[in-house]
Amino acid sequence: MKRIKIIILTGIIAFTCIVIPIACKKSFLNQTNTFGLSPDAVAASKDNVIGSVNGIYDTYQNSNLLKKCLWYRANFGTHDFFNWGADVSWNNYQIPSNFVGLNDFWNNLYIGIARANYAIPVVEIARKNGVVDAALADRLTGEAYFLRGSMYYYLAACFGGVPLELQTGSDGLTPRASRDSVFAQVVADMQQAEALLWSKTALPTADIGRATKGAAYAYEGSARMWLQDYTGALAAFNNPELTNNYHLLPNFADVNEYDHQNNDESLFEVQFYLKQGDPQDWGGSWQPPGGELGWIDSFSWPNEITQQGYDYGNPALWNSYQQGDQRKLLTIVGPGDHLVSPGIIAKWGGVKGYPPVVAGFAAGNATYKADDSTILNTIGTLTRPWYGDDKGRTGYVCAKKWRDPNLTGNYNGPDGKGHIFGDQNQILMRYAEVILSRAECKVRTNDVAGAMADLKLVRDRAWGGTAPATIQDSADYKGDPGQPITDPLQMVLSEYRHELSGEYSTFFDLLRAGTDVAVGFINTANGTVAGSYDPVPNPAPGPTHDGQKHGLYNTAINANWTLLPIPQSARASNPNLTQNPGY
Amino acid sequence: MRNSSACYKKRIRYFFVSSIFLLFFSFAFSQQKTVTGRVTDQDSKPLFNATVTAKGTNISTTTNADGQYSITLPSNANTLIFSYVGYQVNEMSIQGNTTVSVTMQPQSNSMNEVVVIGYGVSKRRDVTGAVSSVTASQIEKVPVTTLDQALQGRAPGVQIINNDATPGGNVTVLIRGVGSLAPGGNGPLYVVDGYPTTGGINNINPADIATIDVLKDASATAIYGIRAANGVVIITTKKGLKNRTQVSLDMYVSSQSTPKQYDLLNAQDFAALSNEVEASDSTHTYHGLPIWHTPDALHTVDWQDGVYRTGVTQSYTLGIRGGSDKVQTAFSFGYYDQKGIVIGSYFKRYSLNLNLDYQATKWLKSSTSVKYSYQDANTPLGSGGNGLFQLAINPPTLDSGNRLTYQIKDGNGNYGFYNPINPNVNKFNNPVYSVETNQSQNITNYILGTTSLEFALYDGLRFKTNLGANVNSYSGFYLSPSDSRAAQQYPGSVTTPANYHQTINRTFEWLWENTLSYDKTFGQHTINFVGGVSAQKNTWTGMGGGGIPATNLTRDLSSVSNLTLDINGNGQRIYTLASSFARLTYQFADKYMITGTIRRDGSSKFDTGHKYGTFPSAAVAWRIKNESFLENVNWLSDLKLRGGYGEVGNESPIGLFQYQALYGGPYPSNINGGGADNFGYPFNKIYQSGVAPTQPANHKLKWETDKQTDIGLDAAFMKGALTFTADWFKRDSKDFLLTLTAPAQTGFLTLTRNVGSMSNQGFEFAANYRGKGGKDFQYGIGLTLTTITNKLTSITSGVDHVVNLGGLVLNGFQGWDDYTRSYVGRPIGEFYGYKTIGIYQSQKQIDDLNAAAPGGIYRPGTVARPGDRIFADLNGDGKVDEEDRTHIGSPQAKFFGGLNLDGTYKAWDINLYFYGSEGNKILNYVESNLESFAKRGSEGADNVSQKYFEEHWTPTNPSDRYARALPNGGDNSSLNNVPSDVWVEDGSFLKLKNVSVGYTLPTTMLSKYSISRLRIYVSAQNLFVITKYTGLDPEIGMIGGSATQNGIDAGTYPSSKFFTFGLNVTF
Repeated sequence: MKRIKIIILTGIIAFTCIVIPIACKKSFLNQTNTFGLSPDAVAASKDNVIGSVNGIYDTYQNSNLLKKCLWYRANFGTHDFFNWGADVSWNNYQIPSNFVGLNDFWNNLYIGIARANYAIPVVEIARKNGVVDAALADRLTGEAYFLRGSMYYYLAACFGGVPLELQTGSDGLTPRASRDSVFAQVVADMQQAEALLWSKTALPTADIGRATKGAAYAYEGSARMWLQDYTGALAAFNNPELTNNYHLLPNFADVNEYDHQNNDESLFEVQFYLKQGDPQDWGGSWQPPGGELGWIDSFSWPNEITQQGYDYGNPALWNSYQQGDQRKLLTIVGPGDHLVSPGIIAKWGGVKGYPPVVAGFAAGNATYKADDSTILNTIGTLTRPWYGDDKGRTGYVCAKKWRDPNLTGNYNGPDGKGHIFGDQNQILMRYAEVILSRAECKVRTNDVAGAMADLKLVRDRAWGGTAPATIQDSADYKGDPGQPITDPLQMVLSEYRHELSGEYSTFFDLLRAGTDVAVGFINTANGTVAGSYDPVPNPAPGPTHDGQKHGLYNTAINANWTLLPIPQSARASNPNLTQNPGY
Repeated sequence: MRNSSACYKKRIRYFFVSSIFLLFFSFAFSQQKTVTGRVTDQDSKPLFNATVTAKGTNISTTTNADGQYSITLPSNANTLIFSYVGYQVNEMSIQGNTTVSVTMQPQSNSMNEVVVIGYGVSKRRDVTGAVSSVTASQIEKVPVTTLDQALQGRAPGVQIINNDATPGGNVTVLIRGVGSLAPGGNGPLYVVDGYPTTGGINNINPADIATIDVLKDASATAIYGIRAANGVVIITTKKGLKNRTQVSLDMYVSSQSTPKQYDLLNAQDFAALSNEVEASDSTHTYHGLPIWHTPDALHTVDWQDGVYRTGVTQSYTLGIRGGSDKVQTAFSFGYYDQKGIVIGSYFKRYSLNLNLDYQATKWLKSSTSVKYSYQDANTPLGSGGNGLFQLAINPPTLDSGNRLTYQIKDGNGNYGFYNPINPNVNKFNNPVYSVETNQSQNITNYILGTTSLEFALYDGLRFKTNLGANVNSYSGFYLSPSDSRAAQQYPGSVTTPANYHQTINRTFEWLWENTLSYDKTFGQHTINFVGGVSAQKNTWTGMGGGGIPATNLTRDLSSVSNLTLDINGNGQRIYTLASSFARLTYQFADKYMITGTIRRDGSSKFDTGHKYGTFPSAAVAWRIKNESFLENVNWLSDLKLRGGYGEVGNESPIGLFQYQALYGGPYPSNINGGGADNFGYPFNKIYQSGVAPTQPANHKLKWETDKQTDIGLDAAFMKGALTFTADWFKRDSKDFLLTLTAPAQTGFLTLTRNVGSMSNQGFEFAANYRGKGGKDFQYGIGLTLTTITNKLTSITSGVDHVVNLGGLVLNGFQGWDDYTRSYVGRPIGEFYGYKTIGIYQSQKQIDDLNAAAPGGIYRPGTVARPGDRIFADLNGDGKVDEEDRTHIGSPQAKFFGGLNLDGTYKAWDINLYFYGSEGNKILNYVESNLESFAKRGSEGADNVSQKYFEEHWTPTNPSDRYARALPNGGDNSSLNNVPSDVWVEDGSFLKLKNVSVGYTLPTTMLSKYSISRLRIYVSAQNLFVITKYTGLDPEIGMIGGSATQNGIDAGTYPSSKFFTFGLNVTF
């Protein structure tokens, strides 16, 4: 019995003294997270505070967002360019609400907005605790407001009214606000940003690419134009932060050149970069999200050069450029046209230097022969346009996005590697657009003379000296000679088209002038037909007038289709989102 | 009057006796005697081949056809043991007699089995909860890789679905239905020899299993608290034997046939279809490869033939079990090697198992169990889009690709490839090239060790301390060499860079549990109590990354270019659990039983204030048979009514620290891809790092709760020859730890929250009958049947459904990112899409619908043509859009079950085992591709089925089922292949899972080789399946463990027939 008692005692001691304290010790269940940063940790480090604002910019660095929604809308919306590949539904405005680009555009911008909403209080805590000084805190907060405002700007431009999220911790069920109240919020955010951001002149070289006071004024003015507050817009556009610190480059060719990134005309451009040693092929850092390289540019080059050719131009745009307008071949090139980008000429000598042309010509491939049997140096020839391997493209190509000399598309360059993904920055807003917008404001406020002066600034540069006083298209979509444009607003619209096509603005600038204005302009310029959903032969005389269908669409746009459908995925997770009419 | 020590002895004896009809080694004895006798059944009929063994020796014999036996024994042998399948083991004392005859009694029923119930054992007759058991003898009849496969159809209420037939197993285990909406939230807790594991169990050799007990309702599982909501599977491995030695060798070799294949087009038919598409393409955008215009010039490649092969499986388990009164050991070594039916796929496992029980003194016992296993597995071509799905859609000709060969692989080792510059085919790959040139390794080492000390303190009072460690370490790499084949032949084509990726990780976990138990009978009152505390700590450490290696031989991350480390894959994290628990059972007069259980569990997964959950349960049982009014009802051998209720938890669906607000980053610029964002941004071409919120704080996050009610009936008839168990159950689950797609407006694409509730209720039945037909023939019939009705009862405010969550994301194109919807008030995982009403036969049909449509287009976003599919305008607004989608079928079965038929005739035994499921639907995504000439969501022309080729709509073949053939552009705008009821098929099936025939050689033939038993058998698995399903295999589980992605056929690794030859030898 004695032994048993000892055993009992031992057992109970073991049970109570050793085990219970371990299992019940509070700290046993309090483990520390060894992955990720807490909000406090972010606010306690200057680098991370800055990083929390860098993270907002990062949401723009997304090829799906930029290309498959913003660029598509700005350029397919006007019919100036078309898609080849999986996204052809943009060509006849049959854009499905589950299209991946819409989804990524919506999601990324709202995530960017939320990052701004989170960053603002983090910067404030860091300012209070002396982690960042007042000037830096101002700049960072201003950047957050600027970025949030710019994101709402593009959301409202694409979708109309969208939900306004201005605080952290949203349940995400907010319904859509009116389009006007979103643009009013853009104005408010830009005004906050104007007060806090640094002037362009104060920004150190290492921070070039960050938002500036001038950029905020540009977006404020544009947002006011959506609100038809043309007087307010004019005031913003005339702010010295814009007019003193930004200038039209003397040579239009330079505006979009690879070696002129972040130039004096650029107000806000999405930055990309090529890390040393990073291959620009599938093994490189292009993958979304967070890819530092984009797949934007070479993808639109001719199939014959890159095996890609996912976008191509409308001959109607090519036809429309007025005689002597240097912007033409820097925007769209067609059969028999030479590339004129200084950077491309310097690196490749034009089309003739690209690997498939060199190899194809050597192999006797007729695709790469000029009509005189020398090596081809044009975008196809007048007798054998480059319609792509399936003959399904028009033979016209976007030259605005053919500026990065490092790219070779899906072919290996001389270094034996494919250079598919590029690091050329994407300009979302530049000073020429501000001047054209200002011209429209002046038209709207009955200062036609002022408007004409602004147009002249842009046009003179386009002609490399003095532009003709008369504004008229060389030819219309049928090839009939253009008539002088006399209506001042139509003059501005024509200049939006010819200055900004192939960039990120044209459709939005047209639509900003009014839905009916945009619908009328686009349908007239392209001779559209309601209910025509399939490609049609090019009606205009010229090298591609062969009676065959080569991917030219003439679907009429209507008011409903000026808005994109709210993405299906957004509506699935927020049942309070109503769909736009017609979808 | 009973007392606890008697009860204890009885249990010990039970263990002892029931294991004794296994065989013995002999010892040499100088003096001998001979005993004879006759063995008969309760009707005095002779029993043939009954085993007669001298207790304490390995001397045994069998009876002849007249039931007669004769055995020569050493003089000191006192007791004979008689055993016969289906009868109670009988021990008879010799007491100096030379003739000992016995009358065997049928095994009364399974009510006297011992059931492991968590921190203790109970007799089945005393169990108040819903517990199903599977024994080694049932498992050994069907060769399986993992033991969860062995459970299929054996236990009612337990649904085992082979997600696919990948070597090594890929199995969904659902106990009483889907309990959580969250992916990965439906698996049971596995307790292996007392150790609640946090990983899977495919490291355990099924041949080592003695019993599997499945605790199904909360009254049984609540003792495991926060991990118990999806049921608990308790695995007990084979223990040593007292005073005898048994050496056993179990081995089998299986050949696995190539699977059923899709009937696809050959090159000529494919080219003909291409030419037809080209001719009818109104946009003139589609042009096939030039060589396709001359079909006769083409060579067919058959990808299915190139990839499927005959599989071979070998399995060997050598076991030695034995011991003395004081020490018993069981040792086994297992080797399993499966070469799968898909090239490159295999699963190898080496396992060592050692169980050691040591009764050191009368009051102290130690039990130790150590399991080691080494696993090497690989499935380079598995289920889904990047795997076997390719076989269905790859164009059937490689002509115009590799100029060296048009074959998949020619005699010189050249692999064919598709033309790299033609967009019709350049998105397709040769999977045989990838499998044969890529190198990879997936090796895991597992060690699970537990040791316990048990002190018998006082009459019925025991203290036990149990210490365990569970370690697994994984090491894997993947190397794909650079591929310049296309670049060599097509100047300027891109060379695919090499890729090397390496991952290592290790989990170390320890467990310490201490329990105090008290078992005592006072008169008619019996009390069983167990209470204890438990602590468990799990530390995970891992590293992984990849880049471009300098050469195809380099496996050195430090020398790769563009090194990218895995986000969240490099570091260490710790997870802890602390718990206390108790269970009290009270029985009165062997008629009335009541059990109460409580567990308080704490988990580090939750925030302070929400760490601890308390999980109570109670159950009652009434053995009606023991009431006086049933005493004389002889046809009824037993009758027990049970009822229980309890609350249990589930914390498995979420990772650690989900309750904290977190930022991601700062990461270097090369962290991106695969869904990872570096959050940084370059300014003026210089990268600056960034950080961004990745999850908001949710301090209220807590475990999921399941409230479970069970009412059950156990009955036995015909002296126990027929047993019957029925249960009705209801599970109300709520607060799912769901990572739900969040509106991007929140700033996050997904949020983890406690949301929603659902209910499952159903019936489960098990019936077993043991019968005889003539003197030599015994048979058994076992049937299990389960029916479950599942309903989502809420999600969260403002949300009435969830779209398919997690797992495989099908090609998002054409709506294939939204193919199941689980609506409140409806079953989880219902397929969602359009209702179809045939095919447009004329333009007038289209024009009429368009004319009546509000916007002038019946189907906005499409330009319909004759030959396109017509979708129904369900809401009657004159047009078809997303609003017209609806529920188009449920993947959940109306009922499922297994039928097991056993028979023995003389030395022969036979087993037939059927498993079936009725009423479940399958969404056949593969078929939607086999009816599309366009490579969907991409570009190119892909293969279609022969049936589609023959029956698709053309102006001269007005099909009402198969739409016209289209290239990409037309396919995109026609939307013929969106999720719709066309792809929903009846997935009901009945499979003959196993048929085996065995023969046990007569003992007389074997004894001179010291072999006491030798059984040889042949068996076949999956011999036939009866189903209407047109795909390869109707047995389709959940993708990624997500109940919202159930029953989707996305190109699975198919099952096929196995033919097995095996031996069971006992020495």
